[in-house]
Amino acid sequence: MYSKKVKLRFVFVIVFLILIVLTTFTVLKVLKDNVVYFKSPSEINLLSEISNKKIRVGGMVKKDSVMMNNNKINFIITDFKNELYVTFSGTVPNLFEEEKGVVAEGFLNDKKFLVADKILAKHDENYMPPEVKKSLGE
Amino acid sequence: MIISQLGYYSLIFGLLTSIFIFLNSSIQLKKNILVISDKSIGLIGFQFFFVFISFISLIFSFIISDFSNETVYNNSHTTKPLFYKITGTWGNHEGSLLLWLLVLTGVLLGFVFKSRNEPNNYRLLTILFHQITVIGFFIFVLKTSNPFNAIFPVQMEGLGLNPILQDPALGIHPPILYLGYVGTSIIFSAALASMISNYVNKSWAKNIKFWILFSWIFLTGGILLGSIWAYYELGWGGFWFWDPVENVSLMPWLSLTALLHCIVTLEKRELFKKWTIVLCIITFALSMVGTFLVRSGILNSVHTFANDPSRGIYILTFILVLVLLSFVIFVIYENKNFTQKSEIFTLSKETAVLINNWFILYFLSVVLIGTIYPIFLDVILDEQISVGPPFYNKLILPFLIPFVLFMSIGPSMKWIKTNFKFGAKSFFVIIFTLILSFITVYYIGEKNIFILLLFIGFFYLLLKSLDQFREKTKNFAQIFSHTGFSLLLISILLNSFSSREIVKNIQVGESFTLKNEKIIFKKIAIEKEKNYESVVGFFEILDDKNTIINLQPEIRIYNEPEMATSEASIKTTLFKDRFITINIIKDQNFFNVRYQHKPFMIWIWISTLIIMLGGMFAIFRKNKEVNI
Amino acid sequence: MQFLEKIKKSIFSLIILIFLIISFFVFKFALQKEKIYSPKISENQIFTDFEVVGLIEEKQINFYEVLSGKNFYLINIWSSWCEPCKDESEYLLELKKNTPVMMIGINYKDNKKNALNFLKLYGNPFDQIFIDKQGTISINFGAYGVPETFLINEENKVLKKYIGPLNDEDVYEIKNITNN
Repeated sequence: MYSKKVKLRFVFVIVFLILIVLTTFTVLKVLKDNVVYFKSPSEINLLSEISNKKIRVGGMVKKDSVMMNNNKINFIITDFKNELYVTFSGTVPNLFEEEKGVVAEGFLNDKKFLVADKILAKHDENYMPPEVKKSLGE
Repeated sequence: MIISQLGYYSLIFGLLTSIFIFLNSSIQLKKNILVISDKSIGLIGFQFFFVFISFISLIFSFIISDFSNETVYNNSHTTKPLFYKITGTWGNHEGSLLLWLLVLTGVLLGFVFKSRNEPNNYRLLTILFHQITVIGFFIFVLKTSNPFNAIFPVQMEGLGLNPILQDPALGIHPPILYLGYVGTSIIFSAALASMISNYVNKSWAKNIKFWILFSWIFLTGGILLGSIWAYYELGWGGFWFWDPVENVSLMPWLSLTALLHCIVTLEKRELFKKWTIVLCIITFALSMVGTFLVRSGILNSVHTFANDPSRGIYILTFILVLVLLSFVIFVIYENKNFTQKSEIFTLSKETAVLINNWFILYFLSVVLIGTIYPIFLDVILDEQISVGPPFYNKLILPFLIPFVLFMSIGPSMKWIKTNFKFGAKSFFVIIFTLILSFITVYYIGEKNIFILLLFIGFFYLLLKSLDQFREKTKNFAQIFSHTGFSLLLISILLNSFSSREIVKNIQVGESFTLKNEKIIFKKIAIEKEKNYESVVGFFEILDDKNTIINLQPEIRIYNEPEMATSEASIKTTLFKDRFITINIIKDQNFFNVRYQHKPFMIWIWISTLIIMLGGMFAIFRKNKEVNI
Repeated sequence: MQFLEKIKKSIFSLIILIFLIISFFVFKFALQKEKIYSPKISENQIFTDFEVVGLIEEKQINFYEVLSGKNFYLINIWSSWCEPCKDESEYLLELKKNTPVMMIGINYKDNKKNALNFLKLYGNPFDQIFIDKQGTISINFGAYGVPETFLINEENKVLKKYIGPLNDEDVYEIKNITNN
């Protein structure tokens, strides 16, 4: 009925569509696996289970909570309602200081303990990460 | 004071000139007077001149620290070195938009001169469309971000420039990047004009190719400078973080690269007409979205305080208007002039370009999704997330292998139809690739088969590109940029797989080891400079041959505004960078020290320069037959 | 066939259009959402305590201590280099005269000499003035710029927030709230 060319074109379109759908799904799947959610200590307190996914926690570094030795820095993140113990070995940003805003990225051991592999801060001291401000504001 | 006034009125005159040019060219088109007289070229020159005067007066206000100007007051300080007073001009919102406007009017002037042999209705239409963008930006600057606002009473001292921006690479980064970004605007205007004037053909391609190359080279350079800055200033030793602000400059680069390949095909074979036009529009839209995302404060960038949402909404609406306009024009004129040859898939250069475009488009979509998905999720579901490097790595790396394979064989294909001969030479190249890859993988101790495949692909591209040097008709543009690209990929891969680092909290006098090297923290010293004080750590590195390398990382405490930055100390050799940073935490005796081995860092910069060199070859050899 | 082609094309165009418009609105909301991002104190919210330094007597004090003993407090962020602040000062003077409100000024990114000159020239409506040289306190308030005014009750709750200079209506509203 149709010419060879039309048929070929049809096959091509089908293959193309399938490819697009497949890529979309892969992209979404990878996206879902690789996003890092942001939580405040209080939100962590409300979690029903501890997932093994990476999270970011934001809040203030509690006063007098920073303890340092050769390999580790331990401190407490607080949102003035709940607290979270953080242990971290790695580089701290320039603006890491007690009673300043901080974001720690890592894995939860339980609701009170985070093993961080990254500490983030912004380049401006006037600045507080928006998520932190949000969790403090709530 | 008077200088600011001069700058301000010059801007207003600029706007008036733009409106006049806009009206004038519409009338000419309507009455079908298709000439571009010296007078109208003069007007475009004047328009540029006015913006130029305005820009110079802003620079001058910065140099003499005229604190009656709000922009100067907010972003400068008398103790700042002259160089940073000047770069401070475009280190802020208002100034950078003025720079944007300067480039925008500058490229139009350049276009008018460079297109003297083109049909006049095409030129007039390009001027007309370009004026829409120009007027939009004039109004944006004057209405929401006037760089010449006066404050009274005049202040004695300014508030200073963010110390993190006081850096030579970042000083010249914005102008270079903007030349790239804004260069795409003329491509956009010309694409719309060519569609309406039915001029999407070989000579149009030849004409616009210069501007594509122009934007592409500067954008590449801008991205390079940004990466270099991130490498030594942010103190992590990384050069690319998949940070939204970086992605925003990568996206137009990707679509420009695709466009560059298309335009050559259009020039040679009159193919991909529609697609080329679409790419022109996409490229410009991405550049605009980039400005929007960085300037509006939706993304968290270095620029922080009090972002006024009205600015963002203005740019956003403006982008929408421009995109809709081009969309409508595209739909109307799509059928009228695209008599296209049917595209049949054969083994040819056209097909290779098409496949290259698909891949690039895929990479572009991945970056786009990763960048805007968090914004969408935040608005729709009120969840704050961030998309990390694994997302990009997983989705981009596997596809790089087929991509580089096509890139390797594409250039040796012929237009229309290629007969592949698989001779002894190809066999030799493959064997050589395999040997090189196995040695490399063995050397860095990676057992992953996927890594091996990546290396095979990258080395194959490198050897195939180098192989072309032996051909009779050499195309240096293509050879250089492809060689540079393969070198870049290889260096990045080597860098990411054999970087070593150690982080320790130590006191003065203590030491630690990384591989065979001993790192000794000798002492600290406090030094005073004009605009900062610094704590310098003196480190000695003893390598396995007992040679001593001295590194002196610093922590700088700037005075205006008060802020600490850490300056990495880097020892560069041909194969390895040694990178050290220190940090202090208030009220603690320990210094937080990070020491890294970063192999092949310098090759990442060099290979990017080679890529740019390729682009320059294409510009300067444009009269000769150029293939891709 | 041609008809099909046409339909295909218009559907395609429609999808792109819808996508563009959705993106526009998402970005627009993202822009406005920034208000949550920026550390803004919205109305009916209590803000946390912080330390302030006085303009005239440069001594440090907790802001909560300042906010005691009155039913209402009016916080005004101003600067000597800000043109609208000059016009605003007569409204502030009027409020000081006719309401039982405690007037607190936050002097934003200014220097002392100019600030004191400004007060001499246009009158001093404030009971207490604190300095904000770096602009950080104003960030805590979530101010966009100068001038900006907050009305706070004895529970440290923000009742009203005025962006830009006060006008007749605002003054009337403040009088109404505070005199009841």
